[in-house]
Amino acid sequence: MANNKEVVKGEEVTLEIEPGTDILEVNKQLAQKNLKLMREHNVKAIDVMGSIGAGKTSLIEKLVQALKHKYRIAVFKGDLTTTIDADRIGRHGVKVVTINTGLECHLDANVVARAVERISLQDIDLLIIENVGNLICPAEFPLGTEKRVVVVSVTEGPYMVIKHPFTFMTADVTVINKKDLAEIMKVDAKQLEKQVKEIKPDMKVAVTNALTGEGIEELIEALEL
Amino acid sequence: MTAQIVDSVLEEAKKQDAKRVTEVHLVIGKLTFLGIEQVRFAYNILVNDTIMKGSKLIIEEKDGVIECPSCGYKGAIQCEDDPAYHVPIPTLRCPKCGKAAKILEGKECTIKRIKMLK
Repeated sequence: MANNKEVVKGEEVTLEIEPGTDILEVNKQLAQKNLKLMREHNVKAIDVMGSIGAGKTSLIEKLVQALKHKYRIAVFKGDLTTTIDADRIGRHGVKVVTINTGLECHLDANVVARAVERISLQDIDLLIIENVGNLICPAEFPLGTEKRVVVVSVTEGPYMVIKHPFTFMTADVTVINKKDLAEIMKVDAKQLEKQVKEIKPDMKVAVTNALTGEGIEELIEALEL
Repeated sequence: MTAQIVDSVLEEAKKQDAKRVTEVHLVIGKLTFLGIEQVRFAYNILVNDTIMKGSKLIIEEKDGVIECPSCGYKGAIQCEDDPAYHVPIPTLRCPKCGKAAKILEGKECTIKRIKMLK
């Protein structure tokens, strides 16, 4: 509390306070705590954001398949109500914790901290967190991960990147998915890549087809895994 | 988000033993995902049935500021105005050296001041 000014007018007392509370700061601090805890346990965490249907789950399935012999992996799966995606990922023999957000459109550092309590950090090296399908709100809430990935697919059209510059600014790696459909959709993946780098010059980009696994190696390299 | 803002103000007011909150002054960064119009709309609904009812909401917007770790440039966030994109897109490219800059300001949502009656 920086300044308190009290003014008395007749019987009425007006008080002016300057709390300086940053509403977003609470989440940022919790995220820092998560990051610290994971680093203490040598766990590398990755946040995967992207629109509904961008291919986040398919991509994570392929990542898990490619990396499960190298790392002990756990996956947190943000989902409004179901466990459909968690079951899909769970088939690959890794620990999956579903975070049902109910009505919430994003995960935050607090729900991630709760989910961390349900796994044993000593038993994993890599934690992949699939955010709720949404290209906007999750960007506002860092979770405390080492890297942030944003997935866009060519089927979302040619303007996804330039319409959401602030989302891309919060990410370290961009995946341009469904590359096999680019021609049909008349979307130029190279153009999307150029736009992403325009917004964030140090962004790493992987162009993928999450169904066939094409480009997954590029992604693994971009994630430094 | 607005519910959290209102809750925080009510908490401060309670600490001060206030009868009524008359004014709330927010600072919202332009790089956040908060729509001023929507915050106002939600605020007016949320304050009903609280001691904040009828309070004046002042929202001050704060521009994005970037800082370049490579050359030390510090200043307003730039826009890339390429006609091919239809709209100017904000960029983290440092206008001085071209490398990637970091966001310094513009990501905040701060309760700057609360006026209340005791």
